[in-house]
Amino acid sequence: MRTQVRAEAPTSAAAAAGAASRPAGSGSRRRLSGWRKQQLAGWLFLTPAIAYLLFAFALPIVYNVMLSFQQTSPATIANLTAPFAGLDNYRFILNDPTSRAAIVRTLEFTFFSLLFQFLIGFSLALLFSLRFPGRTLARSLVIVPWLLPLIVTGVIFRFLFQAEGGAINQVLVQIGVVHDPVQWLNDPNLAFWTILIANIWLGVPFFTLLLYSALQDVPVEVREAAIIDGAGPWQRLRLVIVPIILPVIEVTLLLGFVFTVKVFDLVIGLTGGGPANATQLITTWSYNLSFQVFSFGEGAALNNVLLLLALICAPLYLWLSRGSLRRSRGADR
Amino acid sequence: MSRAQKARALRWLCTLAAAAALVVILFPVYAIIVGSFESTNTLFSGTFYWLPHAATLDNYRTVLGHASASTQETVGGSQTGAVVTSLLLGLGTALLALVVAVPAAYALSKYRLRVTVILVSSLLVAQIVPSIVLATSLFIIFHWIGLVNSYPGLILADGTYAIPFAILVLRAFFFSLPNELMDAARVDGASEWGTFRLIVVPLSRSAVITVAVFAFLAGWGDFIFALTILNGAGIEPITLGIYNYLGNYSTDWGAVMAAAVIALVPAGVLLVMAQRYIATGLTAGSVKG
Repeated sequence: MRTQVRAEAPTSAAAAAGAASRPAGSGSRRRLSGWRKQQLAGWLFLTPAIAYLLFAFALPIVYNVMLSFQQTSPATIANLTAPFAGLDNYRFILNDPTSRAAIVRTLEFTFFSLLFQFLIGFSLALLFSLRFPGRTLARSLVIVPWLLPLIVTGVIFRFLFQAEGGAINQVLVQIGVVHDPVQWLNDPNLAFWTILIANIWLGVPFFTLLLYSALQDVPVEVREAAIIDGAGPWQRLRLVIVPIILPVIEVTLLLGFVFTVKVFDLVIGLTGGGPANATQLITTWSYNLSFQVFSFGEGAALNNVLLLLALICAPLYLWLSRGSLRRSRGADR
Repeated sequence: MSRAQKARALRWLCTLAAAAALVVILFPVYAIIVGSFESTNTLFSGTFYWLPHAATLDNYRTVLGHASASTQETVGGSQTGAVVTSLLLGLGTALLALVVAVPAAYALSKYRLRVTVILVSSLLVAQIVPSIVLATSLFIIFHWIGLVNSYPGLILADGTYAIPFAILVLRAFFFSLPNELMDAARVDGASEWGTFRLIVVPLSRSAVITVAVFAFLAGWGDFIFALTILNGAGIEPITLGIYNYLGNYSTDWGAVMAAAVIALVPAGVLLVMAQRYIATGLTAGSVKG
């Protein structure tokens, strides 16, 4: 990101220069055919990607919308289509208590995850931007949780939260915080906190890394000027640093939102949606509807709720990425 | 205390705070690595040992032993076949991602094309689409065209994690290559493909490695598509193997942890090998799109 931001300024100048120089040196016929050749080459380079996007994204999304309006049965697997059912599937998920609870729980889960991921991630980012012995090592180790397969993270936490033999209870008992093992995974109220804690743990590295690199972009002169003007640490943070890195904070929260509403592996590995459906999220309950009871239509309807929820962010994401979108044939340095 | 002493004390306080944070962050991974060397008796003794107590390799013997040719038998038993399967899926996903993403990213950064804005927007949106949405549809579509329970089917699905991200990261990187380089190659008579293959790809090695590493980890670590598209017997990657352990051998936590540790190895190795590339490549892609 750092290189990107630095590159931004020269790019527009270079692009303008390029635009000016191209027509000037391109009077001949050869240049025009060169332009055509480039258009053709560009399209050929894009062909595999366009084909892939249509096959792996557009087709499944369209098919998912179709399924959500159909009266599906296990035989739909073989037939591909089923009779039209109107809004029945949507009516079902809005009346089904587990589906409704899963939707509300997904929102709660996402809100609390983002809140704590941001607070912890930002604190660590601030810490890592100070100079202290061992900070390079600390910074490279902090991303470890991010690199594990998600199902492995879920399984790790399932072990850690075991009532008997789980490392968390053992440590808590050893240091005397609790007397009896806590029933993390068997108590429906506590189980929600286990998926939340695991997910916060999982997301902190992402927030730390992105916010850290944003902090590196705050010009030293700006910080020094604020110190000279007599701003205290809290004022510097609130009035100088946060406004400067706000765009990155926005993108980070946005991506964090998108990652969190999608969470599936972690919950399947950790609680499997239990006990008594107390940790079902939209994703896990949709899996349950589609692949355990083979109600593909109902699963698809719930999928569309999830898709809608995730896509709420799309316009904002595109707007925040507008710099990169507008950029065409860039060159710098 | 003098000013310098105070500053030094403050620096060590920061180190202490960072160390405390790292203990929490690394504890889960540390605990399963230690746990994978413990016997079930020790694990459930009620005491947490910070170092292996009566270390044993039994768990790894359970997980890697009795290698059999039939993957069918690996369900809940030996994971050797599953490791090979996951390696193939990771390599396949990396290959697919490179074939699709490198040329596309090049076209989206170095050619003036009308589709650029639409396509880049689509890629940004594609990153948002939840995998479970794709999995439900792909399961039925793959069933129809005969890709269920197959490597190509699973690799095509795993590509959805890697490809939009790969194109965006590589595109951000390609912007940094000077246009004069390509113009010079063209003046020297190189074709568009020749310019791409002989000039652009070799110069982009670090970005290509970053993308390949992440695509590999996506294929290696995939669980959703393995769970849905594989649908039972046949191919079984390590992620699914670990999940099946939970069902079949819920008491054998030692074996679960040994399998989990094995599943961590590629991430660890690649992290160490490609660390230099990862941070720059990643942040470039995820923030600036």
